[in-house]
Amino acid sequence: MSQKISLKDAERKAFRTTYNDGLVDVFLGCFFLMFVIGPYLSASLGDFWSTAVFLPFWALVYLAIWLIRRYVVTPRIGTVKFGQARIAKLAKFTVVMLVLNVIALILGSVAALSFGSVPGQMTSIIFGMILLMGFSIAAYFLDFNRLYIYGLLVGLSPLVGEWLWTHRYATHHGFPITFGTSAGIMILVGLSIFVRLLCNNPVPKVEIPS
Amino acid sequence: MINPHANPELHPLADIDQVIHASARLMVLTYLYVVESADYVFLMRLTGLTWGNLSTHLTKLEEAGYIAITKEFKGKKPHTTINLTKQGRTAFREYKRSLQQVLDDLPD
Repeated sequence: MSQKISLKDAERKAFRTTYNDGLVDVFLGCFFLMFVIGPYLSASLGDFWSTAVFLPFWALVYLAIWLIRRYVVTPRIGTVKFGQARIAKLAKFTVVMLVLNVIALILGSVAALSFGSVPGQMTSIIFGMILLMGFSIAAYFLDFNRLYIYGLLVGLSPLVGEWLWTHRYATHHGFPITFGTSAGIMILVGLSIFVRLLCNNPVPKVEIPS
Repeated sequence: MINPHANPELHPLADIDQVIHASARLMVLTYLYVVESADYVFLMRLTGLTWGNLSTHLTKLEEAGYIAITKEFKGKKPHTTINLTKQGRTAFREYKRSLQQVLDDLPD
């Protein structure tokens, strides 16, 4: 037997199967669409409303994902409750993400209050770093390796976008191009994983009493 | 069946829990050991066993008192949840320890 038997790996495998349905990827992709469409809307709606208009969109996507999970995915992959160690890890993840969000909020407020005196490149680097950190933390705590790649994609998006914008290759700080590419990749990866899951896991006919 | 009196060198192997030792049941118990509970579909998918096969092994484990099977209805559909009992957890730990000891004692 060449495979190493590990209880930790078994737990990790069990945990991964519960979210590896591609729907998280689709949701993340839809989230980052805000940076693709938002800049075009801000001219007519203003900065606040061009962002706020996405709230019902995300709510709709979230609801659709919840319904798909409940009626399409769960009958195919089943349900599982995890032990205390995993619950504790998830609780730690929530706390770390909350701290990161507070830091992001403070940095965002400082940048907004400085009325444009912070150079664009610096803002892009900080924004990209926060995105990269958020994704990396999530990847680590959730044992979700794809998030490292997504983290790199969205982390580089503001910086590359800024470069495209300063060299006049793109409008709106290059966000529609860079974030659009990242969001597109996430949605495509998510959909392909979801379709593969549907093909490989048909719904069992009936439960046979044991 | 091993007769431990016939060959004393086999004693440690004879002590190994034969209910757990079957590969399919070992697989099921490994997953149940690392989670709190799982349903039938989840175990079937993770272990790669068929409905009938999984059902047979779960019955054996239930008879040994290692797992508890809870049957309920979710809407109109039957739903079976399986979890490791305290006895099952202890037996699995003991199995792990015994097997480790036997393998460690083997010469290279």
